Amino acid sequence: MKLNRIVTASVSAGLLLCGLILADPVLAGEKTIKIGNIIPLSGPSASVGQQGKNAREMAVEEINANGGIKSLGGAKLEMLYADSESKPEKGVSEAERLINTEKVNVLTGCWNSAVTYPTTAVAERYGIPFIVPVSVSDKITEQGFKNVFRIAAKDSWWTRDQFSFLKDMEKEFKTPVKKLAFVYENGDWGKGFASQWKKLAAEAGYEVVLDEPYPSTATDLSPVVQKIKRARADVLMLVSNAADAILLTNTLAAYKVKLKAVVASGGGHADPSFIKAAGKNARFIFDIVEWETDVNKPGAKEINAQYKDKYGYNLTGEAVDAYLSMYLIKDALERAASLDKDDIRKALADTHLTSGPGMIVGYDAVEFDASGQNSHASLVMVQINDIGNGLERITVWPKIARRPGYTPVFPKP
Amino acid sequence: MIYFIEDSINGILMGSIYGLTAMGLTIIFGVLKVVNFAHGTLLMVGMYVAYWTVTLTGLHPYLALIIVVPVMYVFGYYLQDIVIKPIFKSEKNVREPITVIIVTTGVWYVLDNLTLMLFGPQYRSIQNNPLQGKMIEIGEMFISVPKLWGAITAVATAFAVYYFFQKTRTGRAIRACSLDRDAASLSGINQYKIYNMTFGIGTAVAGVAAVTLVPFYNIFPSVGVLFDIKGFIIVVLGGLGSIPGAIIGGIIIGLIESVGPQFMTATWTEAIVYGLFLLVLFVKPSGLFGVKYDW
Repeated sequence: MKLNRIVTASVSAGLLLCGLILADPVLAGEKTIKIGNIIPLSGPSASVGQQGKNAREMAVEEINANGGIKSLGGAKLEMLYADSESKPEKGVSEAERLINTEKVNVLTGCWNSAVTYPTTAVAERYGIPFIVPVSVSDKITEQGFKNVFRIAAKDSWWTRDQFSFLKDMEKEFKTPVKKLAFVYENGDWGKGFASQWKKLAAEAGYEVVLDEPYPSTATDLSPVVQKIKRARADVLMLVSNAADAILLTNTLAAYKVKLKAVVASGGGHADPSFIKAAGKNARFIFDIVEWETDVNKPGAKEINAQYKDKYGYNLTGEAVDAYLSMYLIKDALERAASLDKDDIRKALADTHLTSGPGMIVGYDAVEFDASGQNSHASLVMVQINDIGNGLERITVWPKIARRPGYTPVFPKP
Repeated sequence: MIYFIEDSINGILMGSIYGLTAMGLTIIFGVLKVVNFAHGTLLMVGMYVAYWTVTLTGLHPYLALIIVVPVMYVFGYYLQDIVIKPIFKSEKNVREPITVIIVTTGVWYVLDNLTLMLFGPQYRSIQNNPLQGKMIEIGEMFISVPKLWGAITAVATAFAVYYFFQKTRTGRAIRACSLDRDAASLSGINQYKIYNMTFGIGTAVAGVAAVTLVPFYNIFPSVGVLFDIKGFIIVVLGGLGSIPGAIIGGIIIGLIESVGPQFMTATWTEAIVYGLFLLVLFVKPSGLFGVKYDW
């Protein structure tokens, strides 16, 4: 008992001390702003973590080369990286270390939703602003936290955007869509999407003519395709992994199923080998993604070229959001003109970012709602088509992001 | 009604191909008394051989049989000779050597991962092959041409293998080994050579199955696993070691998978297939065509 008490006492004393140090006003003359980044640099998500790191590096180099944060006397941004290994407990301990030992001013991370979720709680406890470029799980911004700001669209918005896209297409091409068919892999992912689709379809007044889960390990999908055909749906919505996405696409073509459009949900349809293996049968499929290299925004092409030149591959959705997050920090610091964590938090909450190199995303502005979610975040829809350069993914929606000169093919001929 | 006929035809065609994928498994079990866990992997190897043959030479997918069958026979022959035989010899007093089963599991992992390293995780399919997506259209009814070819090949292979086992001298030697390996040895049959040949034949049949699949299916390193589980159910249903049993078992599974989804969601048909599997194990453990009394 006694020992316990001593331990408790010393721990609380330590915490108190930390609090005192953190509360200390920033010393005059300090010229760097420390940004802690917790991302997976090893383990299963290492490749995506590395992309995020590269994008952050590139943005910070640009910001520092252009004179740093002017309102803070040209203070430079200093990057600190911590490897989460995609493990929640590692993320939490690294957040503690970055806050207490390294005294970071802002935190960013962590890509894996499972890591971001507990790690944001640490930042909240210390009152350090935490920017989440990408981690899509809805619950991250539903914890009632004041210090968490997410740039990327959340899970439930994927399905929301698929339906907004459908409505916009109906209007643009004056083709009414009435009957929907939902076909999805029989896992958490597919079932989660389908349950939201059902709600959205009821709200939008669509008739659901088929609601069919199938096992992703199926060796023959022609029975499912027959059901799609006999349901006489206008639009087929899919959630598929790679092997089944290819099989479904080829079987749909073989059975000559007539549909006005096929709307996919990333995953298997976004797999690089999908277009190759499905070939011309993949033509005219719509797919939802976070970002595509051809997005029609000023600077997107140049920044992608610069990035590709430096690191050897195209920007991805994760990289773009990470890149934007650095410009978001710069924007907030300029307005805060202070290194006090509350001032930074307030500046972030008041963000209305519409221009600058970071704004190569598919939407117009970054603004956070009360929960800290970027309310403008949206996804883009692409259409797979061949317009003379072989099959490729062409951004078609939202309209402001559409590839110039391209008219989506809707309904499918 | 027309839907029912259409689905039944698809079920019979696809089922025959399932039967063909399981036939090699049943041949190897019948003689070696070993459940070959690497069978799906052998199918995968066959699919890659067929894929590269067709892509590199531009042959009709079925002409690839000329290359796939001998390559797979030699592959199976030496796989048994080099990897599995030593284990067999060290366990020669055991009737159903468990260690061999573990070795076949090892072969499965090694080959799957070797393929992953060599060819990557990409999904491949043979583009622009003359069978891809072809359909016979009779009014409203669609019959898949590549599946029809596959089903004909399956039945032809079943007859050929059956004839070989019944009528030829080597076939009789193989059957003798399967009945009583010691008595066969005493009659001057080289037991291990027969094993090598049987394994080769089983692998070659997997190669034939692979050729029937590539015109309409994807090729990727773990593709064998999908057919492996189905293969086990089929051979238990039809009776372990029985060649007609494999085809009939396959057709039953194919019919359930194809007709079932019109009355329920596709995920339920899987449950029915496994339910039937359990039922057969309870009621008739030797399967529909299996021999009741083991030799």
